[in-house]
Amino acid sequence: MTVSSEQHIEGKRDVTFRVFRLNPQVDSKPYFDDYTIPVERGITVLRALNYIKENIDASVSYRVFCQAGICGSCGMRINGISKLACTTQVWDELPKCREAGIIKIEPLRNLPLLKDLIVDMDPLVGKMKHYRNWVESSMPEPEMGKKEFLVSEEEFSRYDKATDCILCASCVSECSILRANKEYVSPAVLLKSYRMNVDTRDSLHDVRLAELVQDHGVWDCTHCYRCQETCVKNIPIMEAIHGIREDAIECRGLKDTAGAKHAEAFMSDIEKKGKLVEATLPFRTNGVAWTVKNLLPMAVKMILKRRTPPPPPLVKSSKGMKQFREEFREMTEHVKDDHKTHNK
Amino acid sequence: MKRYAYYLSCINESMTKEVDRSIALWQKDLGIELVHLHESTCCGGSNLDYVSPKHFALVNARNIAHAEKMGLDLVVSCNTCLMTIRSAKKKLDASPELRAEVNEILKKEGLEYRGTSEVRHLLWVLIDDVGLEAIKSKVKVPLSKFRIAPFYGCHILRPSTVLGKDNPLDPSSLDQLIEALGGKTIPYRHKNRCCGFHTLLVAEEESLSVAAEALGEAIEEKADFIVTPCPLCHTVLDGYQSKALKQAQIHSSIPVFHLSEMVGLALGYSPKELGIKRHIVS
Repeated sequence: MTVSSEQHIEGKRDVTFRVFRLNPQVDSKPYFDDYTIPVERGITVLRALNYIKENIDASVSYRVFCQAGICGSCGMRINGISKLACTTQVWDELPKCREAGIIKIEPLRNLPLLKDLIVDMDPLVGKMKHYRNWVESSMPEPEMGKKEFLVSEEEFSRYDKATDCILCASCVSECSILRANKEYVSPAVLLKSYRMNVDTRDSLHDVRLAELVQDHGVWDCTHCYRCQETCVKNIPIMEAIHGIREDAIECRGLKDTAGAKHAEAFMSDIEKKGKLVEATLPFRTNGVAWTVKNLLPMAVKMILKRRTPPPPPLVKSSKGMKQFREEFREMTEHVKDDHKTHNK
Repeated sequence: MKRYAYYLSCINESMTKEVDRSIALWQKDLGIELVHLHESTCCGGSNLDYVSPKHFALVNARNIAHAEKMGLDLVVSCNTCLMTIRSAKKKLDASPELRAEVNEILKKEGLEYRGTSEVRHLLWVLIDDVGLEAIKSKVKVPLSKFRIAPFYGCHILRPSTVLGKDNPLDPSSLDQLIEALGGKTIPYRHKNRCCGFHTLLVAEEESLSVAAEALGEAIEEKADFIVTPCPLCHTVLDGYQSKALKQAQIHSSIPVFHLSEMVGLALGYSPKELGIKRHIVS
């Protein structure tokens, strides 16, 4: 009895929603409006916003459609984190408030702002088009409509998770590199490209991959895992990004990029020394001219502080290197066998 | 004295030698002994896993198997090594086939990956094994005059399915350690953000812009220094600092300390002994 009456008391309270406002046609700069409303436990942030719009201020603007975590329309930053308003419980947000009882609501980052909580999704759509993120059928035209295109369960399992994406752009909003450069492909687009590239019905794989390894593409991801951590559908986005990279390294002709050379240096150094030979890594990644131009001033400072990595001959190999190298090469044979089996 | 197998990170063997040197100074003061694992090899630095997933599994199964042979947990002081080796462990523990395949190869060295050793960051060992109260009791020079910006770095937090110690949205372990050493933390929004290290050679401008944001906030909040548990973050925030701040047109600077140096300072060691003079920004 005590428990239920306590729950009743805790089950309703006044909560303030501090909402980001900007109407570029009227306002010269953004501001926040506070709306304090009674909220019951179990109410989502989206329902609270609906209440504000219906009862207090009809001018508050946000996108909303399904209200059930399916359509991806209501992505916004709640207490600083990008997520869906419709699947976020007000009660769960209360302990995360910087100021007690005040939930901060802001638009997604890294996309142009249209009004209040509404961002322009066109740049994202544009990138989806640029990387041709759709299946272009590999079935010859005369056979279309006459034959089924069967996908095995095993094939589907490779991109099953990726198909969960609802394009809410939470990952886009949280991406570290996109924050630095809006030209960057962005995590949602990489995820979709991966999903298309592993689809056996698709014929655009090579074209798409060739574009993905260009500037602002897959190699610019800095492995911060913020996209994956905030994904509202728990999709392992980094696995997709790594999947594209693995594919690019395996495909002949696509290795001639700084990103691929940098990644492959790890493999060869481990085999040779067991350790990374850091001194030559910039040269191997970007060539001599780039290294001299970009890193020389810093190299001088590092030499003065005795911080430079040792030249290759002075990099001490790991203990037991001879045995390790044999093991490493034995695994190389396994990988070759795997490829043979895979290609059959 | 609690013992651990200590994984030797490539960067701590070359550019950030002060990390291992400073740990060696104070480890016994806190009742821990880190046994250097000279057999360990590069973890693949968050790259080998996609260049060759099988080699990635082999290399890190071997790194962990050496610790298992000694009956010790594997302790790491670089975030990316931590995340990378833990990712491999997660894959190995989930797949009997992969385990069997690498063990067939490791057998020739008298090694077997069994999954019995944990892979932990030095920060976690300090908090969970040594304990904040014990650390407090050993402090000789409290850091009370310093306002400190705790920069966690990505790979001690994310992916949380692999790391799992701190809440990646609001981490607190490093803050707790700073307070135990008598220091004061500043509210630091960038504490769980990225330093940009992994794209320094591929997308330098973007990396520096990411770094400048983290540096800029600490400068604006008037922190005395930034502290990080990761030598890769340190390399960007210290080594590339002037370049990053110049690009962002911020005319200031801020020292960046390793976790191991901050502990050493509070335990009474001098900046010189700890290797702080080796930093680019003083």
